[in-house]
Amino acid sequence: MYEAAYVYPDGDSTTARFAHAAGAAGYDGVVVRAVDGAGRRSAGGPAYDAVRDAAGVDVVDGAEVVAPDPEHASGAIGNLRPKHTLLLVRGGTDRLNRFAVEQERVDVLARPMADDGDFNHVLAKTATRNAVHVEFDFGPVLRSEGGHRVRVLQRLRKLRKLVEKYDTPYVVSATPDVHLRLRAPREMKALGEQVGFTGDWIEQGLEAWGELAARNRRRRSESFIEPGVERGRYEKDD
Amino acid sequence: MKHLPKHLRPRRRYLAVELESWPDADVSRGAFQRELWYAAQNLLGDPGSAEADLSVLGFEFEDGAGETVVRTRVGDVEPTRAALACVDEVDGHPLWVRVRGVSGTIRSCEERYLGRRAGIIGESNVVFENGRRTAFVRDDALDVRTPAGFAGATKLDFE
Repeated sequence: MYEAAYVYPDGDSTTARFAHAAGAAGYDGVVVRAVDGAGRRSAGGPAYDAVRDAAGVDVVDGAEVVAPDPEHASGAIGNLRPKHTLLLVRGGTDRLNRFAVEQERVDVLARPMADDGDFNHVLAKTATRNAVHVEFDFGPVLRSEGGHRVRVLQRLRKLRKLVEKYDTPYVVSATPDVHLRLRAPREMKALGEQVGFTGDWIEQGLEAWGELAARNRRRRSESFIEPGVERGRYEKDD
Repeated sequence: MKHLPKHLRPRRRYLAVELESWPDADVSRGAFQRELWYAAQNLLGDPGSAEADLSVLGFEFEDGAGETVVRTRVGDVEPTRAALACVDEVDGHPLWVRVRGVSGTIRSCEERYLGRRAGIIGESNVVFENGRRTAFVRDDALDVRTPAGFAGATKLDFE
């Protein structure tokens, strides 16, 4: 199971600290959701390989596109896609949500229900067709209360109904921006059960980050040439 | 009133809980219990909180880290876990609450799961954000004091 975190400088904890904490919490890895591809480069932190070795958990090199509208997002996607293992696009408006699910290049539509964003059956079907994972953001469920949390839960419920109906791929995250906001997988499952999800459903959402990373790493590896064409062992002709 | 015979007494479970915050945090048992009750009431509602009958026993907190035992009823362990996850901060200090394990008695809970956390072993000076900063060291983890608050790092970040 993986958690996707905002690391320093987007958040308050470095990649290494998140990896350290995620290991203690029982995760298999951390996805770095560097806003607009910042993160490691601007912070000048250690290489992800060194972090992996030190913490004993996986670190996935991800980037999150944060743009006010699809026109700006489009350029950022083209720019960041070749550089990162995982590409997220932050939703939050109807236009951005629609744009993200229509792009096969996008791995995850992050926080679609935040702000003014909404989701419907058309987007759910499109996301399924393009294998764009929809994110369930449990951050506000963990960290807010009262009327705001009620609205967040209502929106998550709506999203869950659509995702279940159209079999849309999804991911689950607590969107931590500091290692103190990480929550262990069992805690996430227990929370999910209280708010209408099932434990297995949450676990699948946490696993999905790892599956996405594994898929993209294979695609980006040298042995992968294009879909259906891979380098492997062949008979020698001499 | 005469106390209940053993088979009629409520059956309990004890959760061994680890707490982590920034080094300057000061969290008391009362404040933590208040936040936990508040979180439980918000998440589980009045009936759910009454059912779980949470209470905080044996609380220890020093230098931004601590541990405690949370009592709940048998069968309410998972709702309690969810309520603990929703404790986000206490008195303005961000708090990470982590369940280490669950036991049937306080004693086995403490013996099996608690008493192993690392205290702060010292302070060191590091260069972070192009400035010299004080960092509090705990195992491999470093909490760096910055003008805006604290930042979490590890030894690896300064090699």
